[in-house]
Amino acid sequence: MLKAALAIARKDLSLALSGAQGLVQTVLLGLLLIFIMSLSREPGELSPPLAAAAVFWLATAFGQVLVFNFLYGLEEAEGARLGLLLSPAPAQAVWLGKALSGWVLLFCCQMVFAPAAVAFLGQTVAGSPLTGLAVVAAVDWGLCALGSLLGALSVGKSSRESLLTVILFPLLVPALLAGIRLLETVISGRGLEAVGAWTGTVVAFDAVFTAAALVLFPFLYTGEE
Amino acid sequence: MIRLCALAFAAASIIAQYLIWFHAPVEESMGVVQKIFYTHMPLAWWSTVSFFVNFVASILYLAKRRDAYSRLAGAAAELGVLFSGLALITGMCWARPIWNVWWTWDPRLTTTLVMWFVYAAYLLLRASDVGGQRQDTVLAVLGVVAFLDVPLVFISARYWRSIHPSVLGSQGGGMEPEMWLAVLANLVAMGLFWLALLAFRTRQLGTGAAVTALMRHGSIRN
Repeated sequence: MLKAALAIARKDLSLALSGAQGLVQTVLLGLLLIFIMSLSREPGELSPPLAAAAVFWLATAFGQVLVFNFLYGLEEAEGARLGLLLSPAPAQAVWLGKALSGWVLLFCCQMVFAPAAVAFLGQTVAGSPLTGLAVVAAVDWGLCALGSLLGALSVGKSSRESLLTVILFPLLVPALLAGIRLLETVISGRGLEAVGAWTGTVVAFDAVFTAAALVLFPFLYTGEE
Repeated sequence: MIRLCALAFAAASIIAQYLIWFHAPVEESMGVVQKIFYTHMPLAWWSTVSFFVNFVASILYLAKRRDAYSRLAGAAAELGVLFSGLALITGMCWARPIWNVWWTWDPRLTTTLVMWFVYAAYLLLRASDVGGQRQDTVLAVLGVVAFLDVPLVFISARYWRSIHPSVLGSQGGGMEPEMWLAVLANLVAMGLFWLALLAFRTRQLGTGAAVTALMRHGSIRN
């Protein structure tokens, strides 16, 4: 399964990065959101680290929807979904492949969002940037596990891409809250006492939705229209 | 069964209202506003039960593929959204005079609101044609995922901040025995109302599906 998942992820990444269409749209939307949110502060005034972290994760959440719509749309354009389903790989390999490629793409986008949030929202990072990267990567896995599962909703003739946002965002609340608090700690260097509890929340979210997706994905990703 | 539940609800609600207004004493610090609690708590409680029924029915649908489970899940989600919406509104009516705010960050409030959003999206999906032929399967998957999220939302919201009074957690919460009786009576009355609505709505959805199937069959014949 892992081999097939890696092959799907490699295929998706090469398609996404060669045209760069999906990625550019995500990056632009995220930057736009960060820029618009920066208008909420007076010129010369600094945004609180909590607000900066919240804006960063808001941009990420919107970006995630675009990324998974794009990734699942790749097969729909040429009717290649049936080909994937007919391959000897289990359906879970498709979920894992899409989740891995989405994770890489989202992380790349965040590498643009992070300096933009620091610049537009007037932040100085007190903590270690490496810890920040680890936090982002860990929270991203939960987002991508769920995003890849529900991204399969956007397949078929009767898909409604806009509905994915309404369904996905409330489900992401625990991961986003944890991401916001942990990133605030990285930016401000305060609130270290709560890091353990929030890390536990992220690990639990990642584990629950990885397990749920492995069980539920074959029900969603079928040849039916 | 529906009629029996409805009649039992009518009788139980008369007793429950009597207990609220004539038996349970007026709370010293909150005054008459506290009586909202007798409606608010059963609404919140039965909305959680609705979401759990949706979760169980969704699993059963995925396992057995019987349409009846899908209809039960749909009816339970509708009741969950209605009851949790009313619980939020009654909670806000209580919070304004007591906490001096309409809304505040609290695990139970936040969890209820997030669940309201999730299941409102579920109903939106149910009303649309998303998923096409596999719509019931898509909804069942969403029903399972949504309920798995409940404890995570609650834990994360609790870490964020909490000021909700733990009425049921703190050794009786300082309530008089008369108040407890009123709470229990309202819980039972609301439960009977919930059961009657669930059975009625499930049957209604079943009838609707049968009529649609008959019409399609007729059009094929013609």
